[in-house]
Amino acid sequence: MPDLTKPASAWNLVWDADWVTAVAWLGASRRVAAGNNLGEIVIWELPDKPGGAAPKPVAQLDAHTNVISRLACTPDGKTLISSSYDHTIRYWDIPATFPEATVPLVLNARAIEDATRRKANGARVPPALETKVCVLKPARTLTQHKEWVISMELSRDGKALITGDDAGRVLIWDASAGTVSKEWKVPKGWVYAVGLSPDKKQACVTERYTLVFDSGRHAAVKLWDASAGTVSRDLSNEKEFKGHHIISASYSPDGKTLALLRGGESGGNSGKPTLVDPATGKVLRECAPGHLDGGTDLASHPDGKHIASTGRDTTARIWDTATGKLVSEVNKPRGGQFKDWFSCAAWSADGAWIACGDQAGAVQVWSFPV
Amino acid sequence: MSHAQSHLSRRAFLKGAAVTGAGLVLPNWGGLAYARAAAEAAAKAKKRCILLWMNGGASQIDTFDMKPGRTTGGPFRPIQSKVTGLQVCEYLPKVGAIADKLAVIRSMKTQSPDHPDGIYHMHTCYKMNERTPHPELGAVIAKYNGNPDADLPSFVRTGSTGNGGAGYLGPKYEPFGIDRTGRLPYFSTPYLKDEDEKKRADLFRTVEDEFGVDHKAEPFESHRTAKERAWRLLRAKGVFDISKDWPKAKDRYGDTEFGRSCFMAKKLVEAGIPFVEVGQENYDSHGDNFVVHKACMQVLDPAWSALLTDLADSGQLDNTLVIWMGEVGRTPQINNRAGRDHFISAWTVVLSGGGVKGGVVYGASDADGKTVKDNPVSEGDLFATIYNALGINHRAKHYWGVRPIWLTPEGAKPIKELL
Repeated sequence: MPDLTKPASAWNLVWDADWVTAVAWLGASRRVAAGNNLGEIVIWELPDKPGGAAPKPVAQLDAHTNVISRLACTPDGKTLISSSYDHTIRYWDIPATFPEATVPLVLNARAIEDATRRKANGARVPPALETKVCVLKPARTLTQHKEWVISMELSRDGKALITGDDAGRVLIWDASAGTVSKEWKVPKGWVYAVGLSPDKKQACVTERYTLVFDSGRHAAVKLWDASAGTVSRDLSNEKEFKGHHIISASYSPDGKTLALLRGGESGGNSGKPTLVDPATGKVLRECAPGHLDGGTDLASHPDGKHIASTGRDTTARIWDTATGKLVSEVNKPRGGQFKDWFSCAAWSADGAWIACGDQAGAVQVWSFPV
Repeated sequence: MSHAQSHLSRRAFLKGAAVTGAGLVLPNWGGLAYARAAAEAAAKAKKRCILLWMNGGASQIDTFDMKPGRTTGGPFRPIQSKVTGLQVCEYLPKVGAIADKLAVIRSMKTQSPDHPDGIYHMHTCYKMNERTPHPELGAVIAKYNGNPDADLPSFVRTGSTGNGGAGYLGPKYEPFGIDRTGRLPYFSTPYLKDEDEKKRADLFRTVEDEFGVDHKAEPFESHRTAKERAWRLLRAKGVFDISKDWPKAKDRYGDTEFGRSCFMAKKLVEAGIPFVEVGQENYDSHGDNFVVHKACMQVLDPAWSALLTDLADSGQLDNTLVIWMGEVGRTPQINNRAGRDHFISAWTVVLSGGGVKGGVVYGASDADGKTVKDNPVSEGDLFATIYNALGINHRAKHYWGVRPIWLTPEGAKPIKELL
């Protein structure tokens, strides 16, 4: 197994069209997909070993028209699924070999534009990072959601999908058929995070309504019977969750631990992952220190013993779920009162790589020695 | 911010209010007689105004001046409104459906970028750092369009949003405050039974009459007057009770504090109150602008649209100007907290009713919304437009000591295209 105490930066994959909002590895391959605020998705093919010049994207997935909220891939690496603020979920067939790259793509277009605008003040315009990509179209589009699809998770076996939206709807899908097998609506607010237990019997759904000052504000964390669509445990009043917006939920591969991450603009280092026993709803432990100004995403490691969390402090942290202790931290916060977020994270299938989406417009990839 | 504003409100209120022997505090009451007929007559003669105050500053790019496809655009998508050429945010569908009632000013170019100075400036049309205490919009309208013989207050504010104060117009025109849940101030509830209160009042009058024979000074008269006003309030305050009507209205206005306040504002202007300000909190979205605005708009959209529709249906919209504005707009650039900061270079205010032309877009910002491209509108221009719509001379002269002061600054011009 990889030594998670020794992260090493592999590449900084520049793609600064806008904030990177979602990232996923494609099956067991070295392919990484990322989506951004504009609804664009690109795919890189990474070398087997880190180092050398940063690879450039090889494919662009063209259809979404608004923020990509989540990406997930079937275990065989053949189907990428994306959810978006454009209300759709799209399936993309990923070929074993990509077609010829013919469409030009400038990877640092925003940096060039910014520097050009500030040229009169002495800014230096960087050379263009150019490449060519092939363009893929979606194989299937699901349109049952009528609001921003904020959250999505594919079960580890790739057979079930859970999605949640800002109308408060939760849908559980037969992933291969693309049909809804169960649906419910949370009683108040919007769905924020969803997670599906490995046996697909339990769903964790968090709720939010993001008013700041008045009584309309809402936050909740509930465990649902996924087949009945009923609440089995309400954790909202636990002190670790009360009044807090929980941005991410992730079950461990064995289903014995559920990790929940506090998001939003929470004060201090309160963006902590909290570990819960999903069978009892009991809080097992908190992982500290939390991310400054809130967390953004969680990813359970394939070994079932670790999780990674990302935050608004531009870090990804790897935690031992048995103790709640920090194993390692990748990246360091950049300067300034407010940092560029790491908005998302994903482990490779072998657990030896982690990719994090960066608000500044990059996918940062780290490797861990095996 | 909200605490400071609340403190400012209380201070401004207490500074200008009369305190009665029973602890009753009464600003800006009209005359002593409860004269519904007089109020109705005044309502017919003079226009009224409802100010929907977006506290903290709503984002123009996320509401009425959208920039789809630009880096400043954000995740909201425009929808076509009822008016050709006017697109509004997808989360304002009900307002968009009645856009023929709206005059959208997309070219506000103002001077005060922060909350205290922006609140003062956009309530008075003068900069905060001037020595002259200018009156806010509600106080001016209360003076010019209020009925001096009415028992009801002429300036009502709901919620805890900021204000500018009555300034040189004096405490008579300070706002009567209602909290955002619709609860009246504590002093409006008698602590005696009705019959005991009446006996107490009669005794008070007897004593005051005897005392007044030998004591003619103004403070004694003020005290007696304030006391009498307090008793009138106890009789007139039924106007503020919307509990019977609200269940039928809440589905249309939205079952929210802001929705309820908008419904109350409609009832109050129909009862003859010339100015009501309704505040909506939460717009100061330096962080997480989009989810904050999305939530705010879902509260705003049903309330605002139902208010305009109800006023139109009852024939009151022509005589009631409804203003939608805050102290600032928000930056086109999205910061690294997913927020938008304060912005005064090109932002949006919306007027409707009160004789203002509907279905009009005035002015324009540039492609990214960073500067005004056409027809800049200053605070003074906006207030001149508002005052003219309400039949008030925007250059009316007042005096602060011996110094002449005008309602709007030198050079302020009404937007004729909207009137």
